[in-house]
Amino acid sequence: MTAFALAWRTARRYRARAVLAVAGVAVIGALNFDMLLLSRGLMLSFADLVNSTGYDIRISGGSGGPLSRQPIDNATPTMKEIGALPEIAAVAFMRTATAAAIRPTRPPEGLELIGSSDPAGLGIWKQVAGSTLDGAGGDVSLPPAVISRPMAERLNLTIGSTLGVRVRLAGELSAMPAVSLRVTGVADFPFESQNAFVVATTMEGFARAHGGVLNDQAEFMFARSRPSAGPDAAAAAIAKLRPDLRAFSNEQLVANFAKNAFAYFRQISVVLSTTTAAFSFLLVATLLTVSVNQRLGEVAALRALGIARRKIAATLLWESALLVGLGGLFALPLGQLLAMVLDRILRRMPGLPAGLHFFVFEPQSLVLHAAVLAATAVVAAIYPMWLAVKLPIAQTLRQETVS
Amino acid sequence: MTIVEAHALTRVFPMSAGPVSAVRDASLRVDRGDYVAIGGPSGCGKSTLLHLLGCVDTPTTGTVRFEGRDAGALTDSERGRIRLTRIGFVFQRFFLLPMLTAWENIELPQAEAGAPAAARRERTRALLEYVELSARADHLPSQLSGGEMQRVAVARALANRPALLLADEPTGELDEETGEHIAALFDRVHADGTAIVLVTHNAALAQRAKTRLVMRSGVLVTT
Repeated sequence: MTAFALAWRTARRYRARAVLAVAGVAVIGALNFDMLLLSRGLMLSFADLVNSTGYDIRISGGSGGPLSRQPIDNATPTMKEIGALPEIAAVAFMRTATAAAIRPTRPPEGLELIGSSDPAGLGIWKQVAGSTLDGAGGDVSLPPAVISRPMAERLNLTIGSTLGVRVRLAGELSAMPAVSLRVTGVADFPFESQNAFVVATTMEGFARAHGGVLNDQAEFMFARSRPSAGPDAAAAAIAKLRPDLRAFSNEQLVANFAKNAFAYFRQISVVLSTTTAAFSFLLVATLLTVSVNQRLGEVAALRALGIARRKIAATLLWESALLVGLGGLFALPLGQLLAMVLDRILRRMPGLPAGLHFFVFEPQSLVLHAAVLAATAVVAAIYPMWLAVKLPIAQTLRQETVS
Repeated sequence: MTIVEAHALTRVFPMSAGPVSAVRDASLRVDRGDYVAIGGPSGCGKSTLLHLLGCVDTPTTGTVRFEGRDAGALTDSERGRIRLTRIGFVFQRFFLLPMLTAWENIELPQAEAGAPAAARRERTRALLEYVELSARADHLPSQLSGGEMQRVAVARALANRPALLLADEPTGELDEETGEHIAALFDRVHADGTAIVLVTHNAALAQRAKTRLVMRSGVLVTT
C-alpha cells in the first residue's frame, strides 16, 4: 500500500477531522485566492480598459499626471500636427463639461457632457445601440449625441429623442440657454462611473452648448500608432515633436499606474495573503499534530514492525497535501464567488470608472494559489512528520500500553 | 542456530528524579525452535528487555547480536529492516491500523518488504486461514472482537515469515477464554518452527513455554 493510499484511507477514517480541515482550508484558501486576484486585478483591469479603446497612445498637457486633465491649448492644430507624423495613423481629442439635462416640468438632472473630435468615440465609449455621432435619426439640424445606458433607461430616451442640455458652471446652472441634441446612440462609457449620466457630442455640439464661443482646448488626445512604428516609437515621436506635451503608450501608462497608484493594493494583498497562508498552515499543522498525537501508539507500532520512517513521513505529507489540496480546490469556486460579491461592493465607490474591476482572474493567480497551498501543505506537515519519525518507539509503546 | 543473543544488557533511563535501571546485566540466548516466556511483576523491565531483543531499543551497555550481527553497530534503517523481515511483534493493544481491513493490515508489512502482489495475496490468504479469520478479511479492526484483533495482529507479525516472534502481554487485553485461544495459536506458531519470546503475567500462557524466566527489578532469573 502506497503512502498516498494510506493517507487517503486515514483521511476517510477520521472523516470529521478531514472535513473540518478541508472546510477550513477552503474558506481560508478562498480569501487567499481573492487576495491574489486583487493584487494585480486593478492593473489588469486598467490595462484591459485602455487597450480596448482603439487608441494606443494618450496625450495630455505638459504638467500633472497622465490623467490629470491638464488642458492642451490649440487642440485642433496640435491634432493636425501630430496626425501628420509618419508614426501616427489617427488622432482624436476630447474635452468635458459639467451639464444638466433639461426636461419640461422636471428638475434638471446632472450629467457629464463630452465633446469628441472622433465621431466613433473610440477612446471614450462603446456603442450598445443606435449609431455613433455620424448617425442620422431625429432632427438632423440638431447636433448628434450618444448617451449612457443608465441615462437612456432612467430618462426614457430612445434613438431619435431630443435632449435639452445646459452647461453648468461651478455646479450651478449657467445663464446660457439649453442646447437641444438628438440622440443617435446609446453606449457604455467605461471610464465614467457605473450609473453616470453621460452625453457625448461632436466638438461642434459641445461648442454650441457653450453658446458657440469656446477656446480651442482639449483635455486629452488619443492617438493610434501605425503598426510599422509601434506605440512606444510613436509616443517618442510625439514627445520629440511637442516636448510641452506628455505622450504615453498604453503600456507605459499601465506600468506607471502599476508602479504608483496600484502598489497600495499589491502591498495589502501580499500582507493579507501571507496572513491567510499562515492561518492555513496553523489549521492544518494543528489538526495533523493532534492527529499524530492521538495515533502515537499506532505510529510507534508501525515503526516497531519495521515500516520505514520515510514511509510514515510520506504518509503524513500526503495527508497534509490531501487536506490542503482538496480545500484549495473548493477554495477556487468559493473565492470566485466571494470576489464577485466584493467586486460588486467596491465598484459602488463613487467616481470609479465602470470598466474597472478590483478582482481579475489570470492564470498566474491560479499558479500562485497552488504554489502557496503546496508550500502550506509541506510546512504544515513538517512538525507532525518530525514527531512521527523521531518518536522513541520503545518509550511510546510502553506509555501507550500503560495509559 | 542462534537467532538472538543478548549479553550483559543494561538499560538505564535518565529521569528528572534520577536514573532508573530497567534492565541490569541480563544475558539471554534464543535459538531456532525456542519458546521463552518471561514473567515478573509490573515495572520489572520485561517489556524493556523485549524491546532490546527486538532491536526496537538499544542497550545502555552490553550487546545484542541478531543472527550474528551486532544490533548496536547497525544503522536505524538496518535495524528497521531486521524488524520488518526477521522479527514479528505482537502488542498487548494490538495496534492494528484502524483504517485498514484485516487483509490490508496483514498485507502491509509484506508490501513494505517488497513482496510481489501475487505472493502477498497468497500469503495473506494463508495467514487468514491460519488464524481462522478468512471470513473477516474485509472487516475493519473496529468491526472485530479483541480476540479477533489479536489474531489478525499475530497474522501480521508472521507476514514476512520471521525467525523470531516477540509478544508483549498478548493476552493482557483479553478474557480468559479468548486468551486461551491466543495461547493455542502461539503453540501452533511455535510448532511450525518460529521461535517465540513472550512477556506475560498470564501463568497459563507462560506454562506453555519451553523456557520460563522471571525478571525482578531488572534482573533476569531462571525459574
